[in-house]
Amino acid sequence: MQATRSIRLPRKLSACRLIHNHSILRSSDPSGRTTSFGFRTVPEESKESLVKGVFDSVASKYDLMNDASSLGVHRLWKDSFVDTLKPGRKGPLRCIDVAGGTGDIALRILDHARENYADRETTVEIVDINAQMLKEGFTRFKKTMYHNTPQVSFHEANAQELPASQFKNDSYDLYTITFGIRNCTSIPAVLSEAYRVLKPGATFACLEFSKVNNPLLSTLYDQYSFTVIPLLGTILAGDRDSYQYLVESIRKFPSQPEFAQMIRDAGFSTGGDFDGGAWTDLWGGIASIHTGVKI
Amino acid sequence: MTTTSAKLLKLALPLIRTHGFTRDALSLSVLSLPTPLAHPLPDASVTALFGPGDDARRTLVHAWLDDAKRRMKEEAAENMGIGDVLKARLRSNEPVLEHLPEAFALLASSSPLPLPLLPVDPTPIIKHAAQVSNQACWIVHSDARESSWYTRRASISAIYLAAELHQLTSPKTAPAFLDSLLENAEQAGKALDETTLFANYVWKSWRGIVKSSGVLV
Repeated sequence: MQATRSIRLPRKLSACRLIHNHSILRSSDPSGRTTSFGFRTVPEESKESLVKGVFDSVASKYDLMNDASSLGVHRLWKDSFVDTLKPGRKGPLRCIDVAGGTGDIALRILDHARENYADRETTVEIVDINAQMLKEGFTRFKKTMYHNTPQVSFHEANAQELPASQFKNDSYDLYTITFGIRNCTSIPAVLSEAYRVLKPGATFACLEFSKVNNPLLSTLYDQYSFTVIPLLGTILAGDRDSYQYLVESIRKFPSQPEFAQMIRDAGFSTGGDFDGGAWTDLWGGIASIHTGVKI
Repeated sequence: MTTTSAKLLKLALPLIRTHGFTRDALSLSVLSLPTPLAHPLPDASVTALFGPGDDARRTLVHAWLDDAKRRMKEEAAENMGIGDVLKARLRSNEPVLEHLPEAFALLASSSPLPLPLLPVDPTPIIKHAAQVSNQACWIVHSDARESSWYTRRASISAIYLAAELHQLTSPKTAPAFLDSLLENAEQAGKALDETTLFANYVWKSWRGIVKSSGVLV
C-alpha cells in the first residue's frame, strides 16, 4: 500500500473526518468544553468516541447509503464541485483532499485533469482520520490507472492538526474537503490548518450540506430527512440512530453566510456574501460549495 | 464584494489595456499587490473570488464601467456642457477601445433566461447608457423637472449609445458625431416644445369659445 500512515494521533486529538458536528459551545461543565452531537450537547471528549461509533457502524455501507439517501444526487454535486475547480486547466496542481478517505473527490480531480487537459502530473494527497475509510479508498484506487503512481497517496491524519513535518506550510495549490468539515469538533481549527498548508494564491474549497432558504423546499427536505433517511438507515445498514444523528448534524451546521465568515476569519479572501459569490448553492442550498483564496 | 476582491479588481483595471477583459487580467492582478505574490492567481482562485467562466470577466467589465463613471465625476470641470462631459466619457474608452465590443457582447450575453428564449439581452447595455446619461446630467446640474427629467435622460442615453457605437467603428469622428446628434436633439426638443405650446394655445382658445357659447352652462 502506498498509503503513508503519518502518525497515530492521541485519542483526544483524533476528532475529525467522520465525526458529526462542529460547533464548540462553552458551558459551566467542570470538564470545560462541550460540543454538539446531533441535537445533543456532549463534552468534547465524549464526542470523538460517539462519532467514531457512528462511522464504524456505517463505514461498510457508506457509499450505498449516500446513494440511497440522496438518490444518487451526491455524485452530481461532487461532479459539479470538481468541475467548478477545473483542476489541471492552468497546469498541474498539488492537491490535498481532507476527509476524503473513500477517494471520491481525488478520483474526480485526477480524471478531470487527465480527460480535459491531458494532465498526468496533478497529484492528490488523500487525508483521513479513519483508517477504514482510507482502506476503502485505497481499494477503489487499485482499480484505476492511478494505483502505484505518484499521483495519489493516502495519509491517516487529523484535519485539525495536520502534522507540520509532513504537511508543510505553503505547499498545496488546492485544498478540498467534502461532506467532512461538519463532522469536525472545531471548524476554525480545520480552516486554520487549511490556511497554513496552502500556498499564497491557492484555493480552499468545501462541499457541505447547508441551509435551504426556500420555505416550501425546506419543509419537504425536513420531512424527507427526518423520516426517510433514518428509515433507509434501518433497512440498508441496520442502524437507525447513526443516520438520525447524521441528519441532525446537517441541521446544526452554520448557514452559508456564517460559514463564509468563518472562512474569512481563518484568513481567506472570499467573494461577496451571496449565492454565486462566497458560496454556490446546489439544489436550493441542500448543499453548498464554499471557496476561499489565501492572499 | 469583499475588500480583497475589490482591491484586486482595481489592480486589474490597468491590465485591461494589454490583456483585455479576461480572466488572465484578474489572475495577474496579484502581481501588482504592495506585497506581490510569486505567481499569478490559479484559475480556481479567480473563480472563487470573481465567479466561474465569463462571470469573472463580466465582473471585470462592471468594475471598469464603474471606474469610468467615477472618473467622469472626478475629472469634470466647472461650466462643462453636456457635450463636453460625454466627450470626456468617450475619451476614457479609447485605451481599451479594441476590447470594448467583446465587453459589451459579454454583458449582452448575460441573460438569466435560457439562450434560445433570449439570445441577446440588451438590458445591461441600456442600463450602462442610462447611468452615463444620469451622471452627465448630474454633473452639468440639469434643471429638467417632472416628465422632462426622464425625457432629457432618455434622449441623452440614446445619443450617447449611438456615439459610443460610432466610436467603435470610427474613433476619430465620434466627437463630431456626438455634437451633431446633440444639436439635432436640441432642435427636435425646441420643435417639440413649440408644438406643445401651440397645441396648448389652440386648446385654450377652443375651451374659451365653448365656454362663451354657453353650451356647457
